[in-house]
This record gives sequence, structure tokens and C-alpha cells, in this order.
Amino acid sequence: MRVTVDVKGEETHEISLADLREIGGDSSADTAEDKEAKPTYADLLREIDLSPHEVSVLVEGRPVPEDQPVESEQVTVLRLIKGGSR
Amino acid sequence: MDCNRCDEEAVMHAAYSGAHLCADHFRESVEKRVRRRVRRDDLVPKDATPENPQTWVIGLSGGKDSVVLTQILHETFAKDPRIELVGLTIHEGIEGYRDKSLDACVELSDDLDIRHEVVSYEEEFGIQMDDVVEDDPENMAACAYCGVFRRDILSRYADDLGADLLLTGHNLDDEAQTALMNFLEGDVEQIAKHFDASLGPLSEREQQDEFVPRAKPLRDVPEKEVALYAHLNDLPAHITECPHASEAYRGEIQQLLYDLEENHPGTRHSILSGYEELASITSDEFSGEDGADLQDCSECGSTTTREVCRKCSLLEALV
Repeated sequence: MRVTVDVKGEETHEISLADLREIGGDSSADTAEDKEAKPTYADLLREIDLSPHEVSVLVEGRPVPEDQPVESEQVTVLRLIKGGSR
Repeated sequence: MDCNRCDEEAVMHAAYSGAHLCADHFRESVEKRVRRRVRRDDLVPKDATPENPQTWVIGLSGGKDSVVLTQILHETFAKDPRIELVGLTIHEGIEGYRDKSLDACVELSDDLDIRHEVVSYEEEFGIQMDDVVEDDPENMAACAYCGVFRRDILSRYADDLGADLLLTGHNLDDEAQTALMNFLEGDVEQIAKHFDASLGPLSEREQQDEFVPRAKPLRDVPEKEVALYAHLNDLPAHITECPHASEAYRGEIQQLLYDLEENHPGTRHSILSGYEELASITSDEFSGEDGADLQDCSECGSTTTREVCRKCSLLEALV
């Protein structure tokens, strides 16, 4: 599956989940439970050098937990904006 | 993935606690942490009564942090006659930035029906940050000028408004960064000051009669969760970064903390809780020392350690 990751106000990335799995280099992936082998939203973020602590991931406008396996071909990423007075 | 507490779909995962929460339970969790912090920091004094209410001034920038703080404090104290909330917004003179966040502040204050005051650098000092950045007489980052002017206005207006407490929307990421920066700079006295100025429970702070005490009740909530709370509640938070923002060292520390948090969830929490304990000890250590000789600024009369305060000397350099 290919996933389109739209970082709002910045670039849009096309990421292949199969490639992510290879990068992960988990040789036990073939035998592991399907869910364990699936890349997560956090893996997608890592691929584009973002930390889950600096963005929110939305699927169809709804926030999703980043540790969950990617199940959508279209993902929106919102960067956090600094709050002002410090 | 279901919420840990009900059958609804989870909207977030907190790696530091392992929790998966739905929107409702997530909101509840954030509000609970803010209220617990208000209690632990002893922010509501025992002698506060409906006849003798406390005035809490919130530094309301219109960004997500101050908007979320204002919303939660309002929900907590709207029916409590002992606490009156006032929003204070500062317009720095940054074109296309502060105008929009000011709109967010006005909308929120109207929605919540709380008193709202707006003060500008232009009216107070006859300057605009856009021009200050151009002039830059001291060869400093924009935030260094802006911070001096902001602190001056916040403390003066807090005084004028009869504030008992000045509250700001610093989140866990902000405070963990500051803690780590103070530690890495080896500035132990600064750590003690941090405790007495804003971190310690009110009852444990070294008495500082010259200044309105500060508090940061959002500091147990990670920045990401503050943003998620604003998003889920559809709060009118402004969403652009200041065009002059330039805190290079803080940015470096922030990245370091993201990486640490990724590999060791809970790092920000442990940094801050250890730092607060350390700050309490150092505050005791420095207590009673009249290290800072406070006097009145010869130009404006504000309390300072110099003959002319930093704000007045910066204004002098700018003219």
C-alpha cells in the first residue's frame, strides 16, 4: 500500500508501506502476527523526520494514536505551533 | 484501537503512561491534571472567600496553550465566587501575527464572558516589535527584547488589575526545556529563582512582596496534548508561529527532548519532577540571602537590581 502523507503547510509525501517494512529490517516479520508487522503512524512520521511529539496525525479529520498500524492511504499531519508567551 | 476506559475509538496514545484514550476520556484526563496542579501548588489560598475573591490574571496570547488554560480554569472556577479570571493580551506590534491571535482572544473572552484587557507596546512604550527587529541596537534575538517588554507589562498590569496571581500557559515541553537549559547552563541560582517565581507551591515559596506570584498549571500536560485538546474542543486558538521567533538553543534542546522521549517515554516528566525537587532544595539553600539588592529604577520606578532597569535601557537604545 502507498500512503499519501500531507504535512499541512509543507510538503506532501508518498510513502510505500512495503519499503517501510524493509527499512524496519525485522526478519521475524513474516512469522509475526500481521498487526505487529504492519508499520504504524509513528513509523510514517519517522520516515519524514518528524517526532510524534511535535505533530498530530489525522485520518479523515480524526486524530489517531500514533502507535497504531497504518490503515488509511491518506494521512494528514498537523505540526504544533508554539503558544506565544514564554 | 479502543479507549482503555470505554468502548469508544481511541484518539491518542500516551507512550509515557501506556494509555489509549477516546476524546471524552482524554479531555477528562487533561482537565484532571490541571486541577490537580492547581491543588498541589496551593493556588487557592484558604482565606479566599466570596467576599474576598482572588483575582487571577491569565497571560492570554491567543495561542493554543493560553487558550486551553483559560478554558479549563474557566470551567473549573466559573461557579466559584472566590476566583475571578481576567485575560490580559499584549500586542507587540507584529504585523499579520498578533492581529489574528488577538481576534482569538476576544472570541474566547466573549464566549466565556470573562474580563479581557489588551495592552500594546505601541501605547506603552511607543515601539513596535517589527521596528525593533529592524533596528536591533543591542544585536540580540527578537525574543530577548520582546521578553523584557512583555515581563514589564505583565507585572505592571497584574499589579494594576489587583492580581493575586499571574498565570501563564507553559506546557510540559516548555518547562522541561527550561529546566534542562538551566541545568546545562549550570545556573543553580536561576533554578532557585524559578522555584520562587513560578514553580513551587505558593505556601513554600520564598516571600517576594515586590512581585505578583506566578503559576503554570498546564505544566503537567505535554504540548502535543494541549494542541489535541484545543483541536477536539474546537477552541479559537491562533495557529501561526511568530515570524520573529528565534530561540536557537531552545530549539536544540527541544529536538534533544523529542529524541529522548521517543526512546525513553516519560523523560520530560522525570526531568521536570526531579528539577522541581532540586529547585525546592536550592530555594531553601539561597533563602534569606539578600543576593539581589532591589531598588527602584531611576527612570520608571519599577523594581530592579540596577539603577536603570533593563526595559528603560533598551528603550533608551531604541530611540
